[in-house]
Amino acid sequence: MFAAISPFDGTQELDASSPPPPGMHGIAEVRLTTRDGKTDLADLRQVSPLRVLFPTAASGDPLTAALVTTSGGLVGGDSLAFDLRVEDGASGLFVAQAAEKIYRSSGADGRIDVRLSVGRDGWLEYLPQETILFDNARLRRCTDVDVAQGGRLLAGEMLVFGRTARGERMNHGLIRDAWTIRRNGRMVWSDALHLDGDIAGRLDDGAGFDGCHAMATLALVVDDPPPFLTILRACPDHSQVRFGATIVNGILIARWLSADAQTLRRSFGYAWGELRAAAGSCPKTLPRLWHI
Amino acid sequence: MPPGSITMPDAGATTTDNDGLLRLMSWLSPAFPIGSFSYSHGLEQAVEAGLLTDLDSVTGWVAGILRHGGAWIDAVLFCQAHRAVRENAPNRLAEIFDLAEAWRGTAETALESRSQGKAFVKALSACWPSEEWDRWMAGREAPAYAVAVAVAAAAAGIAEEAALAAFLHAVAANLVSAAVRLVPLGQTDGQKAVRALVRILPEVVAAAAVHPLADLGTATPMVDWASMRHETQYTRLFRS
Repeated sequence: MFAAISPFDGTQELDASSPPPPGMHGIAEVRLTTRDGKTDLADLRQVSPLRVLFPTAASGDPLTAALVTTSGGLVGGDSLAFDLRVEDGASGLFVAQAAEKIYRSSGADGRIDVRLSVGRDGWLEYLPQETILFDNARLRRCTDVDVAQGGRLLAGEMLVFGRTARGERMNHGLIRDAWTIRRNGRMVWSDALHLDGDIAGRLDDGAGFDGCHAMATLALVVDDPPPFLTILRACPDHSQVRFGATIVNGILIARWLSADAQTLRRSFGYAWGELRAAAGSCPKTLPRLWHI
Repeated sequence: MPPGSITMPDAGATTTDNDGLLRLMSWLSPAFPIGSFSYSHGLEQAVEAGLLTDLDSVTGWVAGILRHGGAWIDAVLFCQAHRAVRENAPNRLAEIFDLAEAWRGTAETALESRSQGKAFVKALSACWPSEEWDRWMAGREAPAYAVAVAVAAAAAGIAEEAALAAFLHAVAANLVSAAVRLVPLGQTDGQKAVRALVRILPEVVAAAAVHPLADLGTATPMVDWASMRHETQYTRLFRS
């Protein structure tokens, strides 16, 4: 289960014909608090197929939790629920252990619910790996973020429409990826990507994905976002990647689109490193799991 | 209600079909003082990037915005707001206002919605005063433009379907007008684009009326990309 799984390494992937059994409902709840001025684990609850591991944090990194889906992916009817809380003054890095695979569904939707909450002067980093959507996959993912005054959060997601290294593409199915961001409990930003049915048509359309099969989104929630927009815009351009950043309703949002998932990952990873250093006082180097 | 009727059946005796039609034509005219002409919804950057070069690419881009982009979000929220007023549900309307204000992809599309919303409220309150409108808009100075128009239409007894079609027509025509100036397109091609977009409006209006809020979303990341890049575009005529 700790095999390196990535969309670019076809040899180690599970085969689409042997998906995990349906109807699994994983839960991962983590609450980090401060004791004697240091971040400490206050609560942990995990229900298979989700596991939370606590590898030794890299030098300069905060308390690190690795999120593991032991089933290797989701089928229709499965659900994963993450509830990750960083209380006042605490800091935590949550990193996905591997890419999440969403297999074809015979009808039911899979669900991923991610709740991230940050107390005053807390720092929460939620670093995803790719979500790989197989053809005819059905996924609804909701990311609900609440950041108190003085808290800081860096969160993101990457979507790959098919196992692109194999020349496959997601042509049909459902992908809903919804975000709600609150400050002190008040909704300030809401957004959802919603593609239902003819996915191929949207991927090809000029106003849609313009032929790109991979996209990434990053959100940075801080009290004063403009300096970080400047940092993002100064990141080197990658050819084959369309990149844009903005501050909307006080939230810094950046997006990437590419026909090449690996190039997108590099560009996304570079920007992520810059932001975690500038906003979270962490090293620019991403955690080891990212590089596996 | 007879098909195509502009007036709601229970709207009272003061509003005739033509009254509703003429109100929509006035409020959604390019001359209504909300500055629509200064917003391109990222289209200026799409032209700059070489994505829009002719009638077909412009029509496809604007159709994408109507079917899957910001105008689609506006359309669904428009129906919900109109319904909340009709059904006398102020709490539900307040939720729609909040959602519409939160639901903006980029800084400039947020500016576009908020500035036009604010100007629309100001112009309507000054020039087309009504107690019904004042009651629903109390405390809302800079609402999302689409929701403000929906409330104005519902408060005046104008049917949802007609009002939304007129609203989307104004959005589409404004984007085509930007394209005519930027691509540039000839006036004839501009009208051909409007004609093509008018053909898809009934489908968008019908879909928006029944679309659940739980499934609200966009599928136009290229439009978001263009709008974000427009913020740093060197030479620009438009505010978005």
